[in-house]
Amino acid sequence: MKARISVNVLSIATLAVLWEVAGRLMDTTLIPPLSNIASAWLRLLMNGKLLENLVMSLWTLAAGFFLAVILGVIIGVLMGRFRPVEHFLDLYINALMSAPMTAFVPLLIMWFGLGVESRIAVVFLFAFFVIVINTMTGVKQVDRIFVEMARSFGAKELEVFFKVVLPAAMPAIMAGVSIGMGRAVKGIVTAEMLLTLTGIGGMIMQYGSAFATDALFAVILTILMVAMIAMKLVKIVDRRLTGWKAEIAIE
Amino acid sequence: MVEVQRVSKTFQRIGKNGATELKALSDVTISIREKEFVSIIGPSGCGKTTLLKIIDGLTPYDGGEILINGKKVTGPGPDRAVVFQTFALLPWRTVLANVEFSLELRQLPREQRTATARDYLKRVGLADFENHYPHELSGGMQQRAGLARALAVNPSILLMDEPFGSVDAQTRQLLQEELLELWQREQKTVIFITHSMDEAVYLADRVVVMTPRPGRVAEILDVPLPRPRIPDVVRRDPKFVDLTNYIWDSLKKAMENHH
Repeated sequence: MKARISVNVLSIATLAVLWEVAGRLMDTTLIPPLSNIASAWLRLLMNGKLLENLVMSLWTLAAGFFLAVILGVIIGVLMGRFRPVEHFLDLYINALMSAPMTAFVPLLIMWFGLGVESRIAVVFLFAFFVIVINTMTGVKQVDRIFVEMARSFGAKELEVFFKVVLPAAMPAIMAGVSIGMGRAVKGIVTAEMLLTLTGIGGMIMQYGSAFATDALFAVILTILMVAMIAMKLVKIVDRRLTGWKAEIAIE
Repeated sequence: MVEVQRVSKTFQRIGKNGATELKALSDVTISIREKEFVSIIGPSGCGKTTLLKIIDGLTPYDGGEILINGKKVTGPGPDRAVVFQTFALLPWRTVLANVEFSLELRQLPREQRTATARDYLKRVGLADFENHYPHELSGGMQQRAGLARALAVNPSILLMDEPFGSVDAQTRQLLQEELLELWQREQKTVIFITHSMDEAVYLADRVVVMTPRPGRVAEILDVPLPRPRIPDVVRRDPKFVDLTNYIWDSLKKAMENHH
């Protein structure tokens, strides 16, 4: 673990040095030296612009993602447990799973307008389908013997579900939630770039069209950091819920 | 008293070529006394496990009747508990929580649940492992936990589905001895599925020999060996040797008739 971290640090340090040198040698606005980006980042942080937009983006991200998790798990569970529901819905879910969600943006504008609702809807659509499919697969793959065991000891349907099916499917559900989180981050940036120029996505469009590459890079790096923190959070929740699975995998 | 009366079971399979029928059990009749230890032996696929699930009430049957103390079986009940071949321990629960599982379903209050589970873990020799997860234990220890989970609900009938089929030979012998001790102490009726002739005879008061699919009762044999059974003594007893040989012949005959 320690060796891993020091390699990571080495990797980042190497990239930073190369970037700085390349930026200074080429002397163009297209690749600003890292030090310029750092000072742009500090400037945006000090004048409050970055934080203000970041909070706005994160709030929208959280709302859309939360909805996607709740509804995704519910629909996924229903599809996994009940054949007719699966057959009724799997065509659409599979089609939409790999469809480019950006194609739906114009429709969403017509339905929800240009407000925050549309952006929440985009985040939702980006994250929702992968959560549904993973939940469904997880629920379907629960070992029958566990269900049989529970029934044999007198478990009723709801007890079978909450004490056996849901915990057994949790690793697959959390895998879906984790991929969904990654997609949700893409969703929020896409929404803010394509719908109304707000939040960090809006900042990207603004600095990009103004050729303010140092500020642009500062925002992009911020997004990368946000994505990493978001994934880390999901991982922490995942560990708490399905730590048993990770331990089995190690052996 | 467990009475299996002319029980039949046919599975319907819906495959590519339409519905096919698979006759698993045909006209099975066995009568098991209270506190009796009965082994059921037969070739793979003879419907032994199906029969056990039917007695447990997990699988519906389509002919005949199962009566326990005169009452017809319509579903799982608190008078029966199963020990599964693959243990069926929940991997996200500790050993203690796995044993508590059966008690949770019976709505026992928390403290009582834990106390009872600990008590049974002690009886199967797992007192020091209550906080381990199943995958941290050997197969033999996992099955001891499975046995504790079944015993904890205090059933009068223990249904065991090839419980020692997936542990190594030495552990198997050890578990057999432990099971006999427990059975003598706990005073339960045991229905024990196996495909080991040695195991069937060593453990049981009577051995039911079944035919290949569809499973029928070929023979029911008394085991005239005294208890308590000391493994080395029993296995050298001519009566033990004769009986296992006889069962082997009986199984062979049943297989030949089948082809």
